[in-house]
Amino acid sequence: MPAAIAIRNLSKTYPGAFELRRLLRRSPRKQPVQALCDVSFDVNEGEIFGLIGPNGAGKTTLTKIIATLVQPTTGAVTVKGFDSVNESAALRELIGLAAAEERSFYWRLTVEQNLMFFARLYSISKRQAQARIDELLAQLDLEHSRSKRFGELSTGNKQRMAIARALLSTPPILLLDEPTRSLDPLAAARMRSFIGSLAVGDPPVTILLTSHNLNEIEELCQRIAIISHGRIRELDTPDRIRTLHKARERVRLVLDGISIERAVNVLAPALADVEVAKDGPRTIITFSREIGDDRLDRGLRAILANGTRVVACETERASLLEVLEAYEREEDKGNR
Amino acid sequence: MKRILALWDRMRAFVIRDFQLAISYRLAFFFRVLSILIFVTIAYYISRTFMGRAEAFSNWRDPLAAWITGLAVLSYFMTNFSSLANAIRSEQLQGTLESVLMTPISVPGLIVASSALDFFQATLFSLLYLVFGAAFFGVTYQGSYLLAFLILILTTMVFASLGILSASFAMVFKKPDPVALLLGTGTAVFSGVFFPPQLLPSTMQQVSKILPATYGLSAIRGVLIENNGLNEARGPIITLLIFLAVLLPLSLWIFSRAVRRAKREGSLIQY
Repeated sequence: MPAAIAIRNLSKTYPGAFELRRLLRRSPRKQPVQALCDVSFDVNEGEIFGLIGPNGAGKTTLTKIIATLVQPTTGAVTVKGFDSVNESAALRELIGLAAAEERSFYWRLTVEQNLMFFARLYSISKRQAQARIDELLAQLDLEHSRSKRFGELSTGNKQRMAIARALLSTPPILLLDEPTRSLDPLAAARMRSFIGSLAVGDPPVTILLTSHNLNEIEELCQRIAIISHGRIRELDTPDRIRTLHKARERVRLVLDGISIERAVNVLAPALADVEVAKDGPRTIITFSREIGDDRLDRGLRAILANGTRVVACETERASLLEVLEAYEREEDKGNR
Repeated sequence: MKRILALWDRMRAFVIRDFQLAISYRLAFFFRVLSILIFVTIAYYISRTFMGRAEAFSNWRDPLAAWITGLAVLSYFMTNFSSLANAIRSEQLQGTLESVLMTPISVPGLIVASSALDFFQATLFSLLYLVFGAAFFGVTYQGSYLLAFLILILTTMVFASLGILSASFAMVFKKPDPVALLLGTGTAVFSGVFFPPQLLPSTMQQVSKILPATYGLSAIRGVLIENNGLNEARGPIITLLIFLAVLLPLSLWIFSRAVRRAKREGSLIQY
């Protein structure tokens, strides 16, 4: 599959800003800050790619470099073959950016006037712009707000406006920053469904999604990259990242018709390190195991041999949050 | 051709946006027009005190005509200068710069396009000074309006170059340019807007000689008040062309360096 976005050995160090006050006082400039270090990955056509990481990890810098708003120190970003530094204008025609920044609209203009202004900047004809605006307002449940001033919109609707604007020119690539942050659960679910539909539309939209909502990332993204301290720590499917990082899972068995004492005795020869608890008439057995080992098999055989009924068997693998926390812990240890 | 059409489209977008924003403050426009009328009225009554007392200065035989042309031209120059200088900064402060720069518009394109309505308004308000003077207080203008307009455009281009320099400063330092303040007050005091520069002490007259507005204003007054032709206006026009030949390439070069630096520092969208 061809890469819609190709990032190669990208590094960004912000030089200390050029401050007039410091210049006049002849005091030294601020220390440079390394925001990205040797980042390389591809985002494929029609893929929803997630970028997760803690605050200050480099997500925003990476997004802004792709959007041509910031230039890299070394390395390159190409979008459908266009270089982000040397062909920035052509590249911007291919990209829509929806950032979670409320101030990015003109508050005294109406919803429609705002969108029409940005459509004109894309040189979209008035008739086409009007049709596109109508379509987007309908898709994003903003029709009733068409004549309202932007400043009068709710936070959630302001966020929808950012997405509507990003889609105005029907770009093949969309950069979404926390697209559901201010939406209520129902609206967030609708938004996720809308985002998902864009990727399978005709033509499909390639989406780079940054979010702190890990459930959202898991639900929407085919692949994710974990970024921390400016470096890509892991890049794979959500399932594999969880598995790669923590090849263990927790197993929970719900049994019927057996006491705690009896369960301990039955399982003792087959399994070590088992927790047994009572939940009403049921007995709950929990233990952890390496994924694919024979502990579950041995435990189940012992229980069934005792004639006990197994009501439920659940496994729980590491969540992306745990993976993220684990990377942060490793980073902290490394820094000490 | 395609690029010119694209710039035209974007300029139209900004003009419509700024007009929509302006009419959301309807009273502001009305008060601006009223303030010009009040200013011209005050100038008329003060000018009667000086009538016939400035015969030594050819442009100032009718002080009201001199003031009105001076104010009209100063207002035009300064609005256009500050509009260019503040184009980026105002978008930064509003928080809209990032979203505008995400469209295919270039930074120079943004500066030109976002100043378009200001240019139009400055033209309208400057004309109002002249129209109010003629309509209510009997000021007469002669000479070639076309020549006066061409000198106005030439001086405006010199001020636009200074505006681009000022925009570069604001982009790098995130502060209003202190030179802009000096230029504004210096032009008002030394370039002959309110009184002939010849009345200044000889050392201060040197300051008036380095200000482009002095030449622009003197030439426009010469055309409109004294019926001067191209021959008489040649001197100031050549001086303005020299200003332009030096300042325009210099300002564009510095501006491109400033944009590159701001993108490298990632500070283009900060304020």
